[in-house]
Amino acid sequence: MPLTFIDIERRKNWRIALFFLLLLLMYFAVTAVLASSFYFGPPSASPRFWIFAAGTALIIAGAHFWSSAVGAVGAVIRTLNAQPPDPRDDVHKTLMNVMQEIHVVTGNRRKIQCRVVPSLSMNALAAADLKGDAVIAITEGLLSRLTRPQLEAVMAHEAHHVLSGDCLEATVAASLFGTFSAIVEKLGHTTRGRAFSSPAFLLAWVMLKLSNLLNLFISREREYRADAAAVRMTRNPIALAETLHLLSRSWRGAGFIGSGFEMLCIVNPLATALDETEGFWADLLSTHPPIRRRMNVLLAMARVSVSELDTKAARREKAKHAGTPSEKAAETKFFAMSPQQQWQGPFTAAELAGLPWLSPLTWITGGDGQAVDRAWKEPPVNAIFAARLAEKEKTLSNFICPSCRQSLVIESYKGTQIYLCRFCAGALVESVKIPRILARNDQPAADRVKALTRTALKENQARFAEHKLKRGHKSSLPLLPCPRCKNPLFRGFYSLAYMIEIDRCGFCGLTWFDRDELEMLQYMVENRLAGETAAAR
Amino acid sequence: MAGWIVLAAVGVLLFWMIMIYNGLVSLRNDVQSSWKQIDVQLKRRHDLIPNLVSTVKGMMEFEQDTLEKVVSARAKAVSAANPQSKAEAENVLTQALGRLFAVMENYPALKSNQNVMHLQEELTSTENRISFARQLYNDLVANYLTRIQIFPNNLISSLLGFRREEYFTAEEAARAVPGVNLSLRGK
Repeated sequence: MPLTFIDIERRKNWRIALFFLLLLLMYFAVTAVLASSFYFGPPSASPRFWIFAAGTALIIAGAHFWSSAVGAVGAVIRTLNAQPPDPRDDVHKTLMNVMQEIHVVTGNRRKIQCRVVPSLSMNALAAADLKGDAVIAITEGLLSRLTRPQLEAVMAHEAHHVLSGDCLEATVAASLFGTFSAIVEKLGHTTRGRAFSSPAFLLAWVMLKLSNLLNLFISREREYRADAAAVRMTRNPIALAETLHLLSRSWRGAGFIGSGFEMLCIVNPLATALDETEGFWADLLSTHPPIRRRMNVLLAMARVSVSELDTKAARREKAKHAGTPSEKAAETKFFAMSPQQQWQGPFTAAELAGLPWLSPLTWITGGDGQAVDRAWKEPPVNAIFAARLAEKEKTLSNFICPSCRQSLVIESYKGTQIYLCRFCAGALVESVKIPRILARNDQPAADRVKALTRTALKENQARFAEHKLKRGHKSSLPLLPCPRCKNPLFRGFYSLAYMIEIDRCGFCGLTWFDRDELEMLQYMVENRLAGETAAAR
Repeated sequence: MAGWIVLAAVGVLLFWMIMIYNGLVSLRNDVQSSWKQIDVQLKRRHDLIPNLVSTVKGMMEFEQDTLEKVVSARAKAVSAANPQSKAEAENVLTQALGRLFAVMENYPALKSNQNVMHLQEELTSTENRISFARQLYNDLVANYLTRIQIFPNNLISSLLGFRREEYFTAEEAARAVPGVNLSLRGK
């Protein structure tokens, strides 16, 4: 380790003091300008004026610093709506385990919380504040697409930011000056460009431009250092390089992760040209180094090149797509002997599962009718029994299906728990879990779902257009009651882009999907089958 | 006058020696506590194995000897008395577990079983923690050894009896460097 902890503490305290001075200076300048308009005569003449301006600036800057820098981790968590990981969710459980592993490899020097951001974007960030809290947040989108070694690499990278202390100064900077960009964004939205006439906006805008200077202090080098430390911890440079490669081609959360938090993230959410260039000015002004260069450094450690990584990723992608049709072609048909001692068939494995008299001891013959054997010896058929066994363990929940009034069954779907109705096949999902489910697209959709999705999308678009024409047209279907609070569920589209009709409860945060709607929504999001009306509008 | 100078020199020397001594002591304590961390993680692994074995036993009829090996390796590791035999028994256990995981891949019924999946995740995590704890230990030992061997420190450390600490060596099977082994050259 090149630096002792005392060195790091000293250096970061110096930087944070500098931030405070900068803030003070900005407020001083602004107060002086504002106050001078109320003073007659040359303001420089009276010392009282300067004392007044300095005092006001000190008070405002102090309050600002205190309110934003001390509880910054809480603010970051609230802004991103980051949730603690759910221990009953498989993927989240892995995340918690990986976090524990990172604690082991760093020798438990510091307790770091971990959080999950319910968003389909792909990014991870670390924050630490003056109270001593530290948090690593990762989006559902990234979490669900990483393999275990890759997740370890990302968490190790973020943990190094926290442990080395550079995360603290970045968080303080982001929360001090992020306020301005939030104000500018909000006002810019509500007033639609007329905002420049308002003095508050002008003030915030000036502050924002001044605070851009801050990037001067946030060095690009720290990302290289964190990458190197992640490799030292996990001994796996390729996993991190693969992650960066994945991130470079994905939505990193531009527009979702608020501006001001960019410097906390593993890659800049806004893919800017400045970040991807090298040279003196880019080094000075940008907070993130070019991804390509980061990957080159990492791959040099493992002695492979970027193009090799590219071809591997392409091959994996191809294998994923090629896998599905060949599987279908290879789907074997089975003949089974009924209790009346008659051969029946041919059945596919799915149809076989529907036979009430099928047992592990049923005689069965696979594919081309060669060998006759007990059903449990055929692995695809044996899987049916395993599934049946697993089904018996299902437990009933306290919720009642809103349409058929039967108890909902707790079911594991894509690694998380949802409530399923055994009769109408509808699904009740907590709204926070929807991004999680949508992000996990490991199984391809069935053909039936694909066809249904296209039809439903077309139909819903037509209905939406009709609805817009006849204002106030009411649907004749009655609203369903919420399974928890019994208030009527609000019926609407998931979003104007993904037009799947769902029923939501605004009070309990529950969403009801009718049969196949969850799969349809997933298929739409995966393939970006958005409604045209939303785009044309 | 000269007496004062000598006294000051002795004082500075003494202060410097105390500083070095304190630094070495804290490094040695770090090394020892990280050694204990490895033990904690090994204990965790021992606790998880009976659960896993009893869960998969019914579904893996043809692999009884693989399971037997895991169980007996665990028993040996738990009862091992001295560190040397303990390290050997743990290495055998690691290999037996690796074989079990490889065999489990062949059983789709196991892969669809929630309990097995959870146990497997826990064990994977524990294996990682063990290797991370060893890695931390080795890093700290390297740091400590450097500190007691570099020039002025080595006088003090040999004088005050700072012993060498031993590195934790990996089992033969795990010697391959993971980074290079994962090469993307279509292997």
